[in-house]
Amino acid sequence: MGDYQHLIVERQGPVGWLINDRPDQLNAMNARMRDEFADAWTELDADPGVRVIVHTGSGRAFQTGVDVSEIAGDGVGMERYRQSVEDFDLHFTSWHQQVWKPVITAVNGICAGGGFHWVADADIVICASDAQFFDPHVSIGQVVSIEAIGLMRKMPVEAVMRMAFVGRHERMSAARALELGMVSEVVDPPEALRERAQALGETIARNSPAAMAATKRALWGALEMGLTDACRAGAAELVSLWGHPDQAEGPAAYAEKREPRWQAP
Amino acid sequence: MVRRPLEGRAAVVSYTTLDVRRDGHVGWLVFDRPGRGNAMDATMLAELEAAWRQLDADEAVRVIVNTGNGPAFQTGLDVGQLARDPDALREQSRRTKRAELKLTAWHNQVWKPVIAAVNGVCAGGGLHFVADADVVLASSDATFLDPHVSIGQVAAYEAIALVRKSPMEAITRMALTGRHERITAERARRLGILSEVTEPGRLRDRAQELAAVIARNSPAAMAATKRALWGALEVGLSEGCRRGGRELVALWGHPDQSEGPAAWAERREPRWATTST
Repeated sequence: MGDYQHLIVERQGPVGWLINDRPDQLNAMNARMRDEFADAWTELDADPGVRVIVHTGSGRAFQTGVDVSEIAGDGVGMERYRQSVEDFDLHFTSWHQQVWKPVITAVNGICAGGGFHWVADADIVICASDAQFFDPHVSIGQVVSIEAIGLMRKMPVEAVMRMAFVGRHERMSAARALELGMVSEVVDPPEALRERAQALGETIARNSPAAMAATKRALWGALEMGLTDACRAGAAELVSLWGHPDQAEGPAAYAEKREPRWQAP
Repeated sequence: MVRRPLEGRAAVVSYTTLDVRRDGHVGWLVFDRPGRGNAMDATMLAELEAAWRQLDADEAVRVIVNTGNGPAFQTGLDVGQLARDPDALREQSRRTKRAELKLTAWHNQVWKPVIAAVNGVCAGGGLHFVADADVVLASSDATFLDPHVSIGQVAAYEAIALVRKSPMEAITRMALTGRHERITAERARRLGILSEVTEPGRLRDRAQELAAVIARNSPAAMAATKRALWGALEVGLSEGCRRGGRELVALWGHPDQSEGPAAWAERREPRWATTST
């Protein structure tokens, strides 16, 4: 861990940063980068100093999915990923890696195709005002599946289907993504995106890490089952924190008008 | 607005933390602890269950409006009061643990249409009543926040239902930012968490108006529709359609199914059967 070629992993206060760093290839994910994601999420998740994780990209793209030139060029193609996809044994997003710290995706430019994995799997998504969203899979004979399925559970379905079928011939703007609730904030000017993501990360880092982890498990669990069963599973998460020191510290700090001292996660 | 007191039930409960009334076909369930942000104390927890059951049983009530007195809509459990009432706290803890809450219409299996009219701040456990309503209106000065994680508590039920009903990112953001950020009524409308924002002074009139419109529809058909649609949140799409199909067929032969078209042909208001199925 720590030896990354295509990612930058940093810390700034309580906020861990994971930055896609293949700007010349629009941050497309080759096989090495795919493996590095698995390590980077695990590293930031294990670091007790990191309370919130921000994911963004270098250059003019956020993420553009699988590196098509690698697929096209080496004769192995997508076959290299057959087993992991057939087994749904993926490791490149925080959700795949079961990271229960809050994750903010900050879309800094083009988000295309497989780039939607990190929009679908984040807890919070903000974007730069010049961000653009499109899914070119079907325009190059590929199937749209996992990332769109995640998005369909999180936002209005028509918008997701439209992106899936217009392929590379149409792009969604940041403003439309905001209207649809795919993102909650558009940052203008675009250069202010990282500063805003850091500030939002620090705000969230003021809340109880233990309570946020249980909350995150409860809410993502809601996408796995029926409403009543999800409430039952959520109740188990809720009750699991009863007696945790944060549950006394929170109200005490509030009464004493000071910042809470949460237990280290 | 003139409101008649609720009538017609043998044991008309007298409420101290709720204001329960009827205006025409519209039942009103109003949180009435304005000095405490309408937070739910032990009495309100008990009264909520009784009030939903009473309004559900009253055949004159076809639609229910849920709102609050004072500047707040609902701010969740009154933890301070419950701490002084160990029996009530124990009972509420038991219900929370077993997923047997009786706070909302959904918890109490009320199949009449329920309109939440959010008159001010809606915080934490107050979101139950937004999540579990069929239609949500808000005053333009209403705000939404979930401070649970800021005081070391887990956000679960309310947010789980909201995740299924509205764009998820907004809900996970609200749950994780805690007390440090609020959603405005207008943003909530754009997201589809609610459908209409009114001037603060207009909220109750508008809720009564909309409820009266909804009350013109067949009670039996609305009950079956509500069961079908909420049922869809319990299962996958195909299974939801199968179950919904059963609700649909169950109403075939009901008097409302001939009365509806007849009234339409005769250009008059339908006279719906009084008992819903």
